[in-house]
Amino acid sequence: MNSGAVAPPGPAIRAIGLVKTFGEIRAVDDISFELAPGRIYGLLGPNGSGKTTLIRLLTGLTRPTAGQAEILGVTMPQRANLSRIGYMTQSDGIYMALTVAENARFFAATYGVRGHEAVDEALALVDLADRAGTLTGNLSGGQRRRLSLACALVHRPPVLFLDEPTVGIDPLLRVQFWAHFRQLADAGTTIVVSSHVMDEADRCDELLFIRSGKVIARGTGREIRERAGTDDLEQAFLYFGGEVEVTR
Amino acid sequence: MSGRRIGALFRRVTEEIRRDRPSIALLFIAPLIITGLVTFILREGERPTIEAVIVNQAGQPGTLVAGVLEETLREQDATVTEVPDEATARAMIEDDRASVGIVLPAELLTTSSPAITVITNGLDPAGEGTQLAALQKALLAGATAATGRSLPSIEHATVYGTPSEDPITPYAPALVAFFVYFFVYLLTGVSFLRERTGGTLERLMATPVARGEIVTGYTLGFGLFAVIQVTLIMLWVLGTIHVPAIGPLPAFSIGLGITVAGSPLLAFVVVLLLAMGAVSLGIFLSSFARTELQIIQFIPIVIVPQFLLSGVIFPVSSLPAVIQPIAPLLPLSYAVDGLRQVFIRGADLGVDALRIDLLVLTGFALFFAVIAALTIRREVV
Repeated sequence: MNSGAVAPPGPAIRAIGLVKTFGEIRAVDDISFELAPGRIYGLLGPNGSGKTTLIRLLTGLTRPTAGQAEILGVTMPQRANLSRIGYMTQSDGIYMALTVAENARFFAATYGVRGHEAVDEALALVDLADRAGTLTGNLSGGQRRRLSLACALVHRPPVLFLDEPTVGIDPLLRVQFWAHFRQLADAGTTIVVSSHVMDEADRCDELLFIRSGKVIARGTGREIRERAGTDDLEQAFLYFGGEVEVTR
Repeated sequence: MSGRRIGALFRRVTEEIRRDRPSIALLFIAPLIITGLVTFILREGERPTIEAVIVNQAGQPGTLVAGVLEETLREQDATVTEVPDEATARAMIEDDRASVGIVLPAELLTTSSPAITVITNGLDPAGEGTQLAALQKALLAGATAATGRSLPSIEHATVYGTPSEDPITPYAPALVAFFVYFFVYLLTGVSFLRERTGGTLERLMATPVARGEIVTGYTLGFGLFAVIQVTLIMLWVLGTIHVPAIGPLPAFSIGLGITVAGSPLLAFVVVLLLAMGAVSLGIFLSSFARTELQIIQFIPIVIVPQFLLSGVIFPVSSLPAVIQPIAPLLPLSYAVDGLRQVFIRGADLGVDALRIDLLVLTGFALFFAVIAALTIRREVV
């Protein structure tokens, strides 16, 4: 379920000197990168390191203080371009008074998707097809998270941002989520997953370590381990942050 | 603007309200209960009983006046006692054994304009007003009898309608406007606050939905419920359904049966414009609140002053000169005036005052819609 073929050649996501300040605080501090289509990128960093602000800048939900964000070659913020982007927010962001299917249909309509097929497919993907008529308020936490994911990809976006998608869900569901993500990426979707859990890192194609609004390291899990000289990604994070000297 | 997206928002908003039973009760039942209660109080309220004590300091000629006073007051279901001096009268009022004291001065018939003193306890201005009016009538009759000269009586005529015997008539239009304004604001405010705090607004902002589409979708959704609410209130306020006696149940009637001089449809338009403004006001104010409690806390700051300054109870012209200029800044003023024009004056679209009210209400609705839209993309960290 993907329209990755729509993506033009060149990077799917590009950040050019992105800066976002809130008063004195530099939440995002001069970040530049290019992310290739059809890969899964992990934004790793502790809470408050600027991951969510970075995603909000890339999706155009907030204007950068300086710099520029481009999605599929279009400078953000750009409202029309949002139909090519999926964003699963950190909070579920779904309507509790609506049923599962009504939520999916509502977000499908806001993205301009017609017909029931896309909704049915999205619900099937997150294994909620049999709960379509259930009120969202009556779902378990994990089921809500799955619905939230379905609402983020109901319009089959070529670029997908997932802000801490696996927080508070059980291990089985987490495995299922990552299987979905891989499936989507194989079909050409560019996925950016933020997490503060290092043990999810190895499921990503490439990692970006974020600390105090800066990208302190980028590479595959293997590259990063080699450069830091440790097998432990947490140790590696501290190494790139200049916190500890890792003895080789 | 995309009709499809607005349609999706409209359906979602209406579906959410429809499932929220307490809100439905608040919208549809509460105004009926309150207007019914106010009407009942104004129409059927007990007249204060007059327990008069008369002090006659004028000797023999005063007895004649006192006698006539007693007679006229008794005709109005008052009790009358004569006491020897003013001190006794005051003591009786203090002890609640009398409600009003009338002192006929010694020079009652010797001067050309004698002053009769009336004493009350001063705790209930409205009730005392009624008593004074009754006394004045009695005094007039007393004076006529004492002097043998008949004084002119007063006949009341009005330009619009007939001098109303129904005390609710001037208040009904104002109450209709106020309830719609208040309940629509409250529901929109809370519902949009949930959108902001529940993370759904953030998510909505990540879709191609435009701010104007959100405000329009909300206005249409809540507008639909406002239409139903106004229809119900209008039927209740204007209608009378007589239910015949069934078995042991006596016959009774439903509806307040308030007469409206103009077109109920015009009244409807006035209220609908006000409701649309209230939707946007709710969205706008929700950006200053963090919790649902704070939406409630805006009521004494935003709603109650409007209630006091828009002519709902106190006519705008009776307000202190310093605060009178505030009234034209409040949308509720125009709705209250517009409804009174239609209800009492029987105004149609040919009446300038009503046209101005409609125009200003449209202006307010658009203005609030724009500022509501501006608050939607306010950055949340």
